[in-house]
Amino acid sequence: MKTATEKKVIVIPCSGIGKALGSVSREATYEVVENIRKGVTETTCLALIVSGDEETLQLVKNNKCIAVDGCPLQCAAKNIKLSGGDLAASFRAVDALKENRSLKPKSVTFLDRDGQQLATVLATQIAVKVDELLKE
Amino acid sequence: MSKYLQTVFDKFELRVHRGYYYSEDGLWASVERPKVRLGVTDYLQRTGGDVAFVELVKPSSTVERRTEIGTLETAKTTVSLFSPISGTVDEVNATLAEKPELVNWDPYGEGWLVILAPRNLEDDLKTLMNADGYFELMLKKLESEHRRLESR
Amino acid sequence: MMVELPEKKVGIISCSGEGCTEGSISRIATRLVLEKLRPQETVTICLPLFLAGGGEERVFAKYYPTITVDGCDKLCAKIGTERYSGKPASSIVVTDLTESPDCSRLRSRRRLDREALALAEKVAERIAQEVDEVLNHWR
Repeated sequence: MKTATEKKVIVIPCSGIGKALGSVSREATYEVVENIRKGVTETTCLALIVSGDEETLQLVKNNKCIAVDGCPLQCAAKNIKLSGGDLAASFRAVDALKENRSLKPKSVTFLDRDGQQLATVLATQIAVKVDELLKE
Repeated sequence: MSKYLQTVFDKFELRVHRGYYYSEDGLWASVERPKVRLGVTDYLQRTGGDVAFVELVKPSSTVERRTEIGTLETAKTTVSLFSPISGTVDEVNATLAEKPELVNWDPYGEGWLVILAPRNLEDDLKTLMNADGYFELMLKKLESEHRRLESR
Repeated sequence: MMVELPEKKVGIISCSGEGCTEGSISRIATRLVLEKLRPQETVTICLPLFLAGGGEERVFAKYYPTITVDGCDKLCAKIGTERYSGKPASSIVVTDLTESPDCSRLRSRRRLDREALALAEKVAERIAQEVDEVLNHWR
């Protein structure tokens, strides 16, 4: 049985490759799992969930998950739910952009400064949710 | 017959609704007498990117042909929207405040922008293209885009 | 007047996996091909959207040649493409192009270091060569 110290929240970005907001979702996820909530979160590949990788499916079913999508298509949120994962929360990079209109990412491959800042804003919002979920 | 003229560019299908009128800027006008409904073309929404905000004139506003009726703000850019028809704004698509993505998902349907009570409808329509004309214009724009990529 | 549009394009399907450095490398390499090396000849297919049933992605992959780029031997892009559209024209696995199969030296998956960026460029060149071969064969 998982103890409180073993509980982790799985943060899964859409990582859409064609759009800057996909890169923002990916960067925000890394900021959470490698920096501001390191140790209590991890990430996994959405493609592994969609393709039915058994180990990954167990991970998302046995832990609370947060989807981080770039756009309203919400590939991450939809596919976590479809796979039977425990989707506890969902964020969209486009909503973070709506609240921070000056931070428009201008490139996809390597995020520019605005894109990085937008990712940081989004990561902070995700971190708050992570804390809530860990208290439950 | 399909209600659209369509072509494929990259992996995207670009459609032009038959029976609508079109400005060069990429706005369409659908005559629903006595009113006119306005929206953006598939080409405009595709090249603009994912819409994050839609700002539109208020109901009862008077608009002139070629004056701004609003903007689409996407992750990439801000697109000004110029009315192809003169008249008074009768209704604004309030759903777009919560769901701006409708402009991308259904530009000829649920993504409509405003409904006008037109003032000079027949004269204004003469300044616009029909679907075939806009389709040709769109193809030229796509070819121009192709040449731009070729020269990089 | 009908304008001729480019018809011969190759779809690049990258794994983009967040779980490891090689996923980031496959993503960057694919983007380099799209933006710099072969911008006119390639499009990107978003893998999660493709796997989940994205209409445009699947239709394109059904009728045009594809190249898959995977970070690791789970081969999400390759297997997914085979399942939903058909055998890709070419498949690249990042770990096959490293000097050693063990990429634990490449630690950061987020900020690719110089070594990882060099590998991304190498993978991008390889993808570009495959694009050329596929298009030559198609012509």
